[in-house]
Amino acid sequence: MKKVFVFDDNVDILELCTFILEDAGFAIRTSSTSNNIIEQVLAYMPDIIFMDNWLPDVGGIDATRALKAHESLKHIPVIYFSANNDVKSLADQAGADGYLAKPFDIEELEGIINRHLTT
Amino acid sequence: MKQCKAFIIGGSAGSLDVLLKVLPKVDVEIGFPIIIVVHRKHGSDSLLPSLLSSRTGLHVKEVDEKEKIMAGTIYIAPSDYHLLIEQDETFSLDYSEKINYSRPAIDATFQTAAEVYQRKLVCLLLSGSNADGVNGLKSVKAWGGTVLIQDPDSAQVPYMPEQAKLNVEIDRILDVEDIAEFINLLR
Repeated sequence: MKKVFVFDDNVDILELCTFILEDAGFAIRTSSTSNNIIEQVLAYMPDIIFMDNWLPDVGGIDATRALKAHESLKHIPVIYFSANNDVKSLADQAGADGYLAKPFDIEELEGIINRHLTT
Repeated sequence: MKQCKAFIIGGSAGSLDVLLKVLPKVDVEIGFPIIIVVHRKHGSDSLLPSLLSSRTGLHVKEVDEKEKIMAGTIYIAPSDYHLLIEQDETFSLDYSEKINYSRPAIDATFQTAAEVYQRKLVCLLLSGSNADGVNGLKSVKAWGGTVLIQDPDSAQVPYMPEQAKLNVEIDRILDVEDIAEFINLLR
């Protein structure tokens, strides 16, 4: 079973993503903080990560950069998501592998996972 | 059989799980709208309707301003607006101050719907962590409507239905397993 890790300070998003991705056959872990992000991700070793722009502690950009600088984690695709109009630019700054503009629906969420997990 | 022109569900923390269990069992032939007001933050707007839509054959949509309320549709209150029911049975979205620290506030929808649908309104309050919805249920009761709560013993967060139980004359306390059957028996 493929594993997804979602970071977002919006607990509604985390709850909804959990139901949606479990329905779609994924294992999911969520977190509302980027505190100790390396340890959090190392403990789960997901196949793909969703990273919100606005996170307490370290923001999404720095958290993504930390993941991409880590030898054991840099291969994991990180999808950046934000309601900010500049989400593509933010994703590029962070070094993310893709982006998703909020609000998004189930098809967009599952579509981007499938694209990144099959390439 | 109780006649129903609108069924409104209010909830907060712990209510999504209940909705996902109940809505798939609701008869697609129901002759009234189901209106859902749950506390949620901005940013999850498209996910909730698409998740609920994936679990039911009923048409599910987020409410648009001035939209006519139609039977057989599940309407979801958008985040960050109070959802009001107008006398001409249309929706109105209101951006005024939060009520009970909430927008949408369940009270605002229950109270405006109570005046419109009167005896033909049925309102259900689910799991949640504040007392939003309790005053609304009082209004529903005062206008002759039917008030229901999720059994607090089965609620992930029992405070909201407990407050209703303490402060409002409740018509029925429902286990999660019995909610869909209750809805299906309304006409």
